[in-house]
Amino acid sequence: MSPLDCVAQVEEHFGPIVTHLELVRGEVAALFEAGPLTTASLRERLEPGVLAFLRNPDLVGSGFVVAPDVLSDRRLSLVWWQGEDRDFLADADAPATGEAIDYTRLPWYRTAQRTGELTLVGPYVDFVCTDEYVMTTTMPVYVQGRMIGVAGADTLVETLETMLLPGLREAGATLVNGHGKVIVSADPQLATGAPLTTARDMIPCRDLPLSVALS
Amino acid sequence: MRVMTSRARAAIFAPIGDEGRAARVESRLAEAIRSGVLAHGERLPSEPELAQMLGVATVTAREALVALRAKGLVVTTRGRGGGSFVQGPESACLVEDRLAAMSRVEMRDRATVYLVVLTGCAEIAAERTDADEVEDLRDLLIPLNVSDVARWRSADSELYLSVAALTQSARMTREVVRQEAEFGALLRIPLNEPGFREATATRHQELVEALASGDAVRARESVREHVTHSLERLAEIHEAVRR
Repeated sequence: MSPLDCVAQVEEHFGPIVTHLELVRGEVAALFEAGPLTTASLRERLEPGVLAFLRNPDLVGSGFVVAPDVLSDRRLSLVWWQGEDRDFLADADAPATGEAIDYTRLPWYRTAQRTGELTLVGPYVDFVCTDEYVMTTTMPVYVQGRMIGVAGADTLVETLETMLLPGLREAGATLVNGHGKVIVSADPQLATGAPLTTARDMIPCRDLPLSVALS
Repeated sequence: MRVMTSRARAAIFAPIGDEGRAARVESRLAEAIRSGVLAHGERLPSEPELAQMLGVATVTAREALVALRAKGLVVTTRGRGGGSFVQGPESACLVEDRLAAMSRVEMRDRATVYLVVLTGCAEIAAERTDADEVEDLRDLLIPLNVSDVARWRSADSELYLSVAALTQSARMTREVVRQEAEFGALLRIPLNEPGFREATATRHQELVEALASGDAVRARESVREHVTHSLERLAEIHEAVRR
């Protein structure tokens, strides 16, 4: 496999995620434009589409995370399905104290809010939703200029390793994120999360803050 | 058992209308439990009573209770004296009960595990934290003039969880989640004292700066000082509640 094939493989995974998030963005915007919503009604409307999307076993979770005070019955809510059984999440409590976590501070929310664009965060250990080492893709959703939340999907880093390592090995390449941190590398000494320190030729992945670095 | 004010009670049990019924019953009760308006151990009205007060069908009330049970916010026991009981987040008073039931040996034993795990996390995190992540940590630091003790406690816990997450190890992070719930809650008891909050704020600041400059030794040291200082204070409180 050539480095370009590796890039294509990365795009094959993230491309459908972006397409799905765009779909959810349209769906959610239309729902909110039609009038106020409760968590339950939003959940009901989104569930079939998200669960169909989550038939892809390469995803660990997906859904829509609302901006504060947008729903009529709750300040914060994660309309989110995850895990092997695709369980519904709804609340995010801090694991140690049981207090509700204000997810609007977290990078996957805040960066989407700040840039107004498709956001890819990670690899990072997510202790709010999955308790796993993941990459999160999010897309902000606006209604009349106001951000009403982010549509998103999580991929386990382990899934990316299984999917991409054979090709990267053949190409002798390393997949890095937008901050130049290693996601998966042909080099067994390059740990996920470690910065790629030496300068290398990079092939960017289309529309994504990811690149395949050559050795 | 604490009795809540009648106004708060009236608001919780006011009729709720028809749409999204079970989820709304669930969310109203869950919020009341989390905020402590419904106290830990308090007995909830029976399903028919609850249904009548809230103006929903009994089956709706039941559905909401099932969901609350699944979330661990309510426990139901059968038989005489049975019913649904509020399972609140651990209150300060319960944490102190747990401390009172602990020997000195057990307290030191748990503190050692907590200390080794947390200092280790700080050391590893210092080697792996980038500038954006440091900014996220800075956002968790609380200004000294904030006197909301619950906020201090949750921020303290979240700071250490975030540092654990920066090790990039999911297993380590889950271990710290367990440590924070088991022993961290005890070490946060003294955060109700302004002087202790001040010292804590200084060490939090030190820790974040050490992580920012990638100084593993200083990161480890600041966590060690924080745990040691917290344990000194906890030992005094322990002595007072055990005597």
